[in-house]
Amino acid sequence: MELATFDAGLLQATLLHALGRGGDFAEVFIEDRDSLGLRLEDGRIEATSGGRELGAAVRLLSGEHTYYAYSDAVDEAGLFAAANAVAAAVRGDGGPAVVALGAVRSDPGRHPVAVPPESVAVAEKALLVRVGDEAARAAGAEVVQVTVGYGDTRQRVLIANSLGDLVLDDRTRTRYTAQVVARRGDLIQTGHETVGGSAGFELVDEEVARGVAAAAAQKAITMLDSRPAPMGTMPVVLANGFGGTLFHEACGHGLEADAIAKGASIYAGRLGEVVAASIVSACDDGSLTNGWGSQAFDDEGMPTQKTLVIEEGRLTGYLYDRLRAREAGAAPTGNGRRQSFRHVPIPRMTTTYITPGYATAADVIAATPKGFYAKSLAGGQVAPASGNFVFGVAEGYLIEGGRLTTPLRGATLVGNGIDILMKIDMIAGDFEVKTGICGKDGQGVPVGTGQSTLRIAEMTVGGTG
Amino acid sequence: MFGILDGVLERARARGASEVEVYGERSTSRRIKVYRQEVEQLTAAQRQGVGVRVFAGGAVGHAYGSDLGDAALDELVARAVDNAAVSDPDEFAALPAPGGEPADVHPYDERLSAATDEHRIELAMSVEAAALAADPRVKTVEDTMYADGDGEVFIASTAGVRGSFRSNQCYAFAYVLAEEDGQVETGYSYSVGRALEDLDPEGCGREAAERACRLLGARKCPSMKAPVVLDPFVAAAFFGVLSSALTADAVQKGRSLFAGREGQRVAGELLQLDDDGVRADGLDSAPFDGEGTPCRRTPLIGGGVLQGFLYDTYTARKAGCGSTGNGVRGTYAGLPSVRPTNLVVSGPVTPLADIVAGLERGVIVTDAVGVHSGANPISGEFSVGISGILVENGELAAPVHEVTLAGDIISMLTHVRALGDDARWVPAGSIFTPSVVIEGMAIGGT
Repeated sequence: MELATFDAGLLQATLLHALGRGGDFAEVFIEDRDSLGLRLEDGRIEATSGGRELGAAVRLLSGEHTYYAYSDAVDEAGLFAAANAVAAAVRGDGGPAVVALGAVRSDPGRHPVAVPPESVAVAEKALLVRVGDEAARAAGAEVVQVTVGYGDTRQRVLIANSLGDLVLDDRTRTRYTAQVVARRGDLIQTGHETVGGSAGFELVDEEVARGVAAAAAQKAITMLDSRPAPMGTMPVVLANGFGGTLFHEACGHGLEADAIAKGASIYAGRLGEVVAASIVSACDDGSLTNGWGSQAFDDEGMPTQKTLVIEEGRLTGYLYDRLRAREAGAAPTGNGRRQSFRHVPIPRMTTTYITPGYATAADVIAATPKGFYAKSLAGGQVAPASGNFVFGVAEGYLIEGGRLTTPLRGATLVGNGIDILMKIDMIAGDFEVKTGICGKDGQGVPVGTGQSTLRIAEMTVGGTG
Repeated sequence: MFGILDGVLERARARGASEVEVYGERSTSRRIKVYRQEVEQLTAAQRQGVGVRVFAGGAVGHAYGSDLGDAALDELVARAVDNAAVSDPDEFAALPAPGGEPADVHPYDERLSAATDEHRIELAMSVEAAALAADPRVKTVEDTMYADGDGEVFIASTAGVRGSFRSNQCYAFAYVLAEEDGQVETGYSYSVGRALEDLDPEGCGREAAERACRLLGARKCPSMKAPVVLDPFVAAAFFGVLSSALTADAVQKGRSLFAGREGQRVAGELLQLDDDGVRADGLDSAPFDGEGTPCRRTPLIGGGVLQGFLYDTYTARKAGCGSTGNGVRGTYAGLPSVRPTNLVVSGPVTPLADIVAGLERGVIVTDAVGVHSGANPISGEFSVGISGILVENGELAAPVHEVTLAGDIISMLTHVRALGDDARWVPAGSIFTPSVVIEGMAIGGT
């Protein structure tokens, strides 16, 4: 089956079936996903795995209700069965007319792929995980375990809806990750590093692979010299790159329009209000070229875009999918995303970041007589309704006399989204984006998180020391 | 489905593969979300597909696909064989041999198959209604969900493994926001079973509301070293993280803080922890695991002593023992990996009221944020954000939030002092646990 030449008449007929008993918007989402995963652990490449999954979903919107059905059968029987399943949920006498599907829209060069991963032998990809293993083990005698992963995915989606949109998006993603465990006596520490993008095999060569693995090893080894983090309230400097996870979790989720619509966000009803210090501006950019969280179109067929969410401390926008934009009378922002055809699209971040400032990272640290430096965050969780969050710190240091001194382990950062944005008092210009998989409502999607080095004047650090 | 499985084995043999296993899945599921007494979302799903594992001289190749047509199956088998050529050989990797009679477990209840969408919607509505009615301070029920699944799995291999079974399950969930004087607090609850009749929708909604409301007015408490009572939801989250360190996979790869500690005291004497894949009321109970090995009960910690680990075929061969039936597959697209089935915490219990009455000063922890990100299963260190109720002189004194709880898993386990009489199933990971009382924890507040 080729999505590019899929029968438009069948799509149109499926939309008509879906709207047969009512509703006001119908959509067909067809996905063809081919994936490969390689994983090396304990010096061996374990079971190499790949596969191809095909599937189709039919969605029907009726007012604020969503009806969704999906199946692995991408033929007339499968599509009509899904369409009939959603139609059966509505009690009416038919929906609006289906606008005739226009020409297929696509934007093939938007995130250029120089070397399609499928054109590269699996053995060549295997070599990259082997050199990563070597580089990590060469970093120090304390390295006791190395896990290196390589994965690529080609996901082609075809989206047709009753407004007449027909969009084909061909997405290639490549990612390389390393996790290293180091041990000295009874103390065990881990380090993690990753590179990824909406790009092809050109993203990772042997040099990149060695660099990622060595960086992960260095983090783990450094943390062997750590002592337990203190607890208390102090200035916190968040490093560039991974530090952006904090903005993603503590603020970004609260800007997603489903949380706004339910009043389950501290940002609901506050457009135009001051929610951050005046030096803070922030964006979500699904169009960032080759970004891990980028696509040409979102999973509802809307072109992705750069959305300014905070401008000089004022709240300027939310992140919408079609459903929530329609309810709010706002324009969709290209943030309707789904993990796969098995998932309902919901508002999701893409690459979200606080925009860079003018200081240098060294200035920010030097201006801090005593504080905590969070170089790398382990991930975190947030309750969007209250804005309260907690983050594990994978790599942290004490700042004393404007210098980084002792590495600290076991720290968490605890606080509230608006509170910490208001307390940002320095932002550097060393902007960097890191890659991750963000989970929400049981769906994982690729996201970029980024920022420059910045300082929060005061924050609660939880530790054991 | 066995016809398709046999066809895959045949194709693999024709390509020269002699050790081949194929796993098939066919399932349906429903998910209903309601909001303000209307159906917000209804999802009806069908899934089917196969995954094939090829062993070539100890090197493993895996491929999966949802297209069960002839051409797609040809490609699937070719990919698995090619992938095996890239993987490194391992003397312990081999096709699982037939493991004997499947366990006498029947994780399927016909009543659920007879349920209609009307029943399901009505149930979800009653969860939300109960939450809204429970307390005037309930602002909204952000998430009210009912979900169920009904699936059949099939396995066949050139070693003679052959089996299938059907299973189903359902659950209801509510996530409530309560508000007072501008402060918002959250609470959630689950109800799980194999039939709508097993669920307690009113109890689920009411409990979620109560859990949110009792945190209203919460403030930070002073930093202290004090006993904590982890309620079953919070205890389950910790046992979930801990369980990954109790797999032979983690032990053999140097990722377990329990490595080399079999036979040693690792927990308070009263603590018993089992993996029980055959418990009748366990959501993850099954006749056999994702490799065809019969499921069973495996003691992990008994009398506070580490008794053993969980194994799949590969880790068992490496350790020179037998698989414990923990080669778990998520879906047809995944490889089996060593994971718990149902984790069951047991031991002598104390009425919860007596536990509270006996606390001079401590915190009942009702929510912990960041257990999965803030706890390191390798080093065992953790630091998480918690909410709960401060207890003073044996009485519930005040709600607390935005404080941290920090320590390490081993010292936490060894300081388990008592278990409550409130054991229940928590579906995230299928864990059955009571409240757990732990002495001397570091609470970070003001």
